[in-house]
Amino acid sequence: MSELTLVVLQLGFLILLWVFIFAIVYALRSDLFGQRVRKLQPETATAAPAAASAFPSSPVPAAAPTAPVSTPTASGGAGELASSSNATRLVITSGAKSGVEFPLGRDEITIGRSSDSAIIIRDDYTSTHHARLMLWNDRWMIQDLDSTNGTFLNGSRVTVPTPIPLGATVKVGATTFELRR
Amino acid sequence: MTDHAATGRVTTAGDGGAPARPATPPSGIRRIRIPQKLRNLEFWLLIVACFINASAIVLVQLGALGRIDTQLVLLGAGLSVLVFGLHIAMRFVARDADPFLLPIATVLNGLGIAMIYRIDIAEGDAGWESAAVRQIAWSAIAIICAIATIFVIRNHRVLFRYTYLAGLVAIILLILPLVPGLGQSRGGAQVWIGFGDIATFQPGEIAKIALAVFFAGYLVRNRDSLSMVGKKFLGMQFPRARDLGPLLIVWALSMSVIVFQRDLGTALLYFGLFLVMLYVATSRLSWVVLGLSLFLAGAIIASQTLDYVGNRFANWLTPFSDERFNADPGGSYQLVQGLFGLANGGLIGTGWGQGRPDLTPVPQSDYIIASLGEELGLAGIFAILALYLLFVARGFRIGFAGQDDFGKLLGVGLAFVVALQVFIVVGGVTRVIPLTGLTTPFLAAGGSSLVANWIIVALLLRLSDTVRNHPRLVIDG
Repeated sequence: MSELTLVVLQLGFLILLWVFIFAIVYALRSDLFGQRVRKLQPETATAAPAAASAFPSSPVPAAAPTAPVSTPTASGGAGELASSSNATRLVITSGAKSGVEFPLGRDEITIGRSSDSAIIIRDDYTSTHHARLMLWNDRWMIQDLDSTNGTFLNGSRVTVPTPIPLGATVKVGATTFELRR
Repeated sequence: MTDHAATGRVTTAGDGGAPARPATPPSGIRRIRIPQKLRNLEFWLLIVACFINASAIVLVQLGALGRIDTQLVLLGAGLSVLVFGLHIAMRFVARDADPFLLPIATVLNGLGIAMIYRIDIAEGDAGWESAAVRQIAWSAIAIICAIATIFVIRNHRVLFRYTYLAGLVAIILLILPLVPGLGQSRGGAQVWIGFGDIATFQPGEIAKIALAVFFAGYLVRNRDSLSMVGKKFLGMQFPRARDLGPLLIVWALSMSVIVFQRDLGTALLYFGLFLVMLYVATSRLSWVVLGLSLFLAGAIIASQTLDYVGNRFANWLTPFSDERFNADPGGSYQLVQGLFGLANGGLIGTGWGQGRPDLTPVPQSDYIIASLGEELGLAGIFAILALYLLFVARGFRIGFAGQDDFGKLLGVGLAFVVALQVFIVVGGVTRVIPLTGLTTPFLAAGGSSLVANWIIVALLLRLSDTVRNHPRLVIDG
């Protein structure tokens, strides 16, 4: 085996090692740079991401809500806080999956674009790790995880972990939901 | 599986999930699971990993012997079979586990074996005398332990029940080396157990897992009293004096490891682990400040009173002085040889089998980083550190995405213990901090360390599987 072949093989080994590392980094890029926004409708695909903030002027798909706060389902005793005993389900009240509901367990519910969230919302307004719902002393709280566009409880922006009243509207991106009995 | 697309896509937990979940999903809920996508990714990465390991051994033989000896390549191939065994086991019991941990651990383990084999060649060891053969045997045992862990622990919350048992086990494991007749002393450190010369084991390595479980369980139960009350001082909220108990106990434990077991690195590892988990649990910087000042005070007192600690500090500060270099017990000869080795390696190294890593004392265990640095160069060392970085980042990620506080703390604790161990070893070899004897995770020769680190891999895999394994709703806006 000539000296040169050996040197080339040794260099090849180092390159292989780094290729392996970059293969891993490439495979987990969504962790590093956030989940890519997936454009489904061709109309929205034409709108540049920057233009997406100009919400009313851009072509809005039929499913998207224009005034999410105006959901008429302000049921439940006003002021009664959702706890593990009186809230049993989470209902999506507007957005692409309006009407869908699922049972609340005792587990924390993470919301965001990341694929390991409990509720995955893929739209232009949701951050990778946007917000989470958790039980504190048996009470359901909403916490904003430093999202770009904010989380809103009954129209006001959530800054600190806040208890959620039953039937109150929580807005994340273009989706709103409520906790119900 | 029926299609409920009209009512939205909701998934439920997999088959192996917690029994509390309803067996039949309510209406409007159906399972979507991209079939084994993560496992397929892992499969391809593992193929690359095993190829890297095989080529490392072949290159060692070409570089050091000038020919290819198939025996060790075959032994290495046997190990690859076991790694794929773990992969197949995960396809059944941990389908949603993280796909990167196993390939990274495999490459690190394989690089370690290749370097140990290279040093065997330099020292003329073969057969059962050869550290590389023993390392392969231990790796096999370690991977089998990992497979067993993944099968036995189906849900990490089980560990929460055994919090105090884990604490007790950790203490017993720490005391074992001090038992007369059972304990053995090597290089001054009393951290080994064994009967005669065979089957020596370092119980402290397993103790770090037990401690991580104990700390996680303990902190989840008691964190309110540790984080809520206290006086504000210098912009930080300090805990009440009576809540200092746990910190002082762990500090006393680490100090006794320094004094009785003469092992600086292990003490630093346990104490650092506790501090970080305390910080993550309470998010109070004051605990870190208090803990670090306690540890520094302890270390300074130890460096004044204990000879071996004082020597370590002197070697760290002035390794190149004639007096330190020639001091026979506790001189800086090893440290300096390691630094010369690293310098000899340069940017791309001398190549496998072409350097002289055997000039440094214990090049296959404590100093394996210097050996690898010599033969693979800065490019290789950075690749190895990048692998550790990815491993630890995955661990933190698993902790971050965890659904329950115990799982979060345990994930962070296990990942951090690997990170801190790498820092202590590499920092010691490269003269960033005083040199302390610890094994480099996955790389260094030593069975107990391999077993412990592969169990950590299994626990992280289990945690990551439970993290992804929960009801979810997908809304495509």
